[in-house]
Amino acid sequence: MLRVLNISKKTPTKHQLEATKQSTSLYTLTMAARVLLGLATSPAYASDNDEVNLQFGHYQEGERGISGLGSEKIKSKFHPIQSDNMHLSAKIMITDQVKGEINFSQDTWSGASPIATAPSSFFGNRDGVSGASPYIVGGLKLDSQLKPVLINQYGEVLGKSDKRLVHTLSGASPETRKQLDVKLSREWDEFTLDLGSGLSEENDYKSQFANMAGHWEFNQKLTSLSAGLSFTTSTTRAKLDHDATPYISGIYDLNGVNIYNKNNNSSQVKQIQNGGKVLQGNREDWGTNIGVAQVMDENTQIEASLGYTHSTGYMANPYKVVEVAFVNPTQICCGTASGDSTALYAYDADVRALLEQRPDVRNQGTLNLRYAQHIKATNAALHLNYRYFQDDWGIKAHTFEAEWAQPLGNNWTITPRIRYYSQNAADFYTPYIVTNQAYASPLMDPNGRGQVFYDASNPAGQVFFEDSPGSGTFSYADGTPIHQTIIDNGNVTPKFTSLNRKKLPTHYSSDYRLSGYGALSGGITVNKQLSKVLSLEVGYEYYKHAGGLKFGGGGESSYANFNYSTLNAALKFDLSATGSFSGGSDNNYSDSHTHYDASNHNQHTSYTPAGLMFDHMLSHTGNFMIGYRYMYSHQAGNMRHGSNVANNQAILLHGCNGNDCYVKPTNMNMHMHMLDIMYAPTEWLNLMIMPQYIDMNMTMSPPNGAPLSPDGMGPIGSAIMHADHPHTTGGIGDTGLYAMFKLIEDSNQHLHATLGLSVPTGDTNIKLRDVMQQQLGFIHYDMQLGSGTWDFKPSITYTNEMNNWSFGVQLSGVKRLESKNSTGYSLGDEMQSTAWFSRKIVNNLSASIRGVYTWQGAIDGEYSSHIPVKIGPMDYTNNYGGHFLDVGLGLTAVMHGGSFDGNKLSFEWLQPIKSNINGYQLERKGALAASWSMMF
Amino acid sequence: MKNYKHINMMLLVTICLALSNCTTVEPWQRGNLAKPHMALDPNPLQSSLRTHLYNSREAASGGSSTNGGGCGCY
Repeated sequence: MLRVLNISKKTPTKHQLEATKQSTSLYTLTMAARVLLGLATSPAYASDNDEVNLQFGHYQEGERGISGLGSEKIKSKFHPIQSDNMHLSAKIMITDQVKGEINFSQDTWSGASPIATAPSSFFGNRDGVSGASPYIVGGLKLDSQLKPVLINQYGEVLGKSDKRLVHTLSGASPETRKQLDVKLSREWDEFTLDLGSGLSEENDYKSQFANMAGHWEFNQKLTSLSAGLSFTTSTTRAKLDHDATPYISGIYDLNGVNIYNKNNNSSQVKQIQNGGKVLQGNREDWGTNIGVAQVMDENTQIEASLGYTHSTGYMANPYKVVEVAFVNPTQICCGTASGDSTALYAYDADVRALLEQRPDVRNQGTLNLRYAQHIKATNAALHLNYRYFQDDWGIKAHTFEAEWAQPLGNNWTITPRIRYYSQNAADFYTPYIVTNQAYASPLMDPNGRGQVFYDASNPAGQVFFEDSPGSGTFSYADGTPIHQTIIDNGNVTPKFTSLNRKKLPTHYSSDYRLSGYGALSGGITVNKQLSKVLSLEVGYEYYKHAGGLKFGGGGESSYANFNYSTLNAALKFDLSATGSFSGGSDNNYSDSHTHYDASNHNQHTSYTPAGLMFDHMLSHTGNFMIGYRYMYSHQAGNMRHGSNVANNQAILLHGCNGNDCYVKPTNMNMHMHMLDIMYAPTEWLNLMIMPQYIDMNMTMSPPNGAPLSPDGMGPIGSAIMHADHPHTTGGIGDTGLYAMFKLIEDSNQHLHATLGLSVPTGDTNIKLRDVMQQQLGFIHYDMQLGSGTWDFKPSITYTNEMNNWSFGVQLSGVKRLESKNSTGYSLGDEMQSTAWFSRKIVNNLSASIRGVYTWQGAIDGEYSSHIPVKIGPMDYTNNYGGHFLDVGLGLTAVMHGGSFDGNKLSFEWLQPIKSNINGYQLERKGALAASWSMMF
Repeated sequence: MKNYKHINMMLLVTICLALSNCTTVEPWQRGNLAKPHMALDPNPLQSSLRTHLYNSREAASGGSSTNGGGCGCY
């Protein structure tokens, strides 16, 4: 409706208003008729409209408690887990019967999560010790009942048994997951077939899936049956936590080979360079479900479905360990407590961390019931859902959900919701294990020759024995003395017997997700239909996980409790609604509208390149434009200095300001998703808001001849090791607010000025996780998500459009309004000039060529606190900025008429031509811009 | 015999209710059912985001009709 009104530059004439009214009522009538004829969507399933959705969300976990001594609650020093997510989806009718759907989503998260559970007296979190990395190996004192006794940090026994448990938390650098999936649906009269496929990738977990489903509506579309089948194959390739790996104990077979997963053939741990270990595992899931949905009466419908999933392979979490307290039965121990003489302890336990072991088969069944009831009195809808879950790991779970969807006036709908979930623990869940054996004990010769030794330089060789205890001379079983060099080289090594695997449970995990607990959550969704085309949706939820909330009691104790809240906002575009106004040939007014567009200069249809921002203004008061812009930039290959390639020697000598360079960047990718929302309150002024979502990754490697770590596994050594796997960041970036002023406009020419303010909503506080109890500080400057400063962003744009040709120039700049951000630096100011030509090549399509010259200053200041551990050129502020000349080639398509009227789609590749950079930087390989916009 | 008849009737009624062949809701009576907030999943964007979070926080994740991959196990 807005669209029709917007055509008139001034007040609409009476005729126009009438036409609007007619078209609106026509739309309503058509919709009513479709509903009446049962042509509209089946009541049970989603709409058939062409739609595009954009959604941004944030997840924030509350701080987890780590109990210390006494009863006081101590909060972990680590940042709690937080995550930013983004979801884009489009559903398009390809033909009358075929519908296509595409979804892209990504999450980036960081923060601390539990790596293990341990008795409180184990002090896994070592609170108070500088640095806060977890301790997962150590000692524990047990009483005669094998219960831990209360001790202090220095190992002094203070009291009797202490049953308190605590999670050992481990931090994590940011990680990103991306998922892309597509679906095709083919409709027949009463039958729909869906085929879908997709893939999901994160650094350590890749998954591909395919599914098919059929829906059959019958009984005058009152009943529908559906059945589906899905297959997923996933690969874990997890670099074991490098902070924990040295402390993860192995289980050795008779040949001395470390077998981490004795019960699971689908995974294995492999040694890689730098002492790292990679756990590789494969997994397959087959899922089926059948369901029936039924209209009960004119206000009620129900759905019942059954699901079954069969999973095989590696299903454990590679970052979770189980603490195992080994109690050597032969030890003669122990004694008195210095603090409390009555608190005797009986055993000193050797606590080791073993990778968790889950079964490699899982069968899961679910029953889902959904009920929707229309409430006449308030035109609300009551939704009640129940889900029962059971698997052969011993877990049974119930989920109850209730929602009240209440439409209010002015196209508002609010939907409060409450959910309760409860599960009991898996059979093999255990917070920790006490086992009555030594982890490793010296191997004794059954023939009474004492301890067994071997030659470390030849482990497969013959074993030998000490001639007499303390003699320092050794002989083989046949009495031949061993070669003196074995002794001289210090290769005499005692053999140890490994633990008896049979004394441990077959499977064990202390993952809180497998414990008994309940979860209560509540939230609200608010929808506002802004126009026929656009609606806004905001959702909030608070979630509380607690052992005490378990249905029937008996849940895990309170140490594992946590909560989170999520907030998201989505914009939904109904493209069919634009089509139904302007595309129909029965609507004369729309035809004239199209004509109007073609014969008049309409800035929206300008064929400007995709990478150009602030390129046009809306023509008429009241116009709206929504756009989505994606930009990708890629750096790889050589390092450069000035205008030339820099060799390794130069990088090592000068790349780090005279300090040692240990690594250089080898690959850097940035993906930026921007939303343009533009509104014309008057003809000469447009307002624009531009939120963005960014994710980045960088790989590094030591250049040939790079120095070794000067501090072993100190901060620099740890940072070098951490650089061995890609660094990733992602989340909400800075938000732009712009005002555009029309200066000159005639039939061909247009000049406007833009004044912008960039609000520092992007995080500039991202740090690398601690490694080996050492802080590595902030991540590289160019991987922070924003500038951290308020920035002024002015530009001036001139465009000239003729029949098939158009050209334009733009000057723009960025001036940082603060000398430093909260972490101590400011990015350099920027100036950019660009000029382009574009020419129509066919009806709706034009090609463009563009030149871009950019100047950017180096970074001013530097990280002030938590001084970053500098290991490469990207950690030095003078290695930023420079002069850049790029050429862009682009294609732009503008749709006229049909259901995509007013849509503009464009792509542009920007190729670096010449650059003169500051300091030492990785070569720029190019950038892609893709842009979609729609005016209404 | 009479009892059996009763049971048969009850069975029939149950089956009828179950399949709801007995109720007839004419197309022009389906206005309320066609309202967006009466869809069995009225806010699919919200529910898929929530489901993703529940799946990474709760054991009872599999076996639903949501087919998706990935762990996102933060």
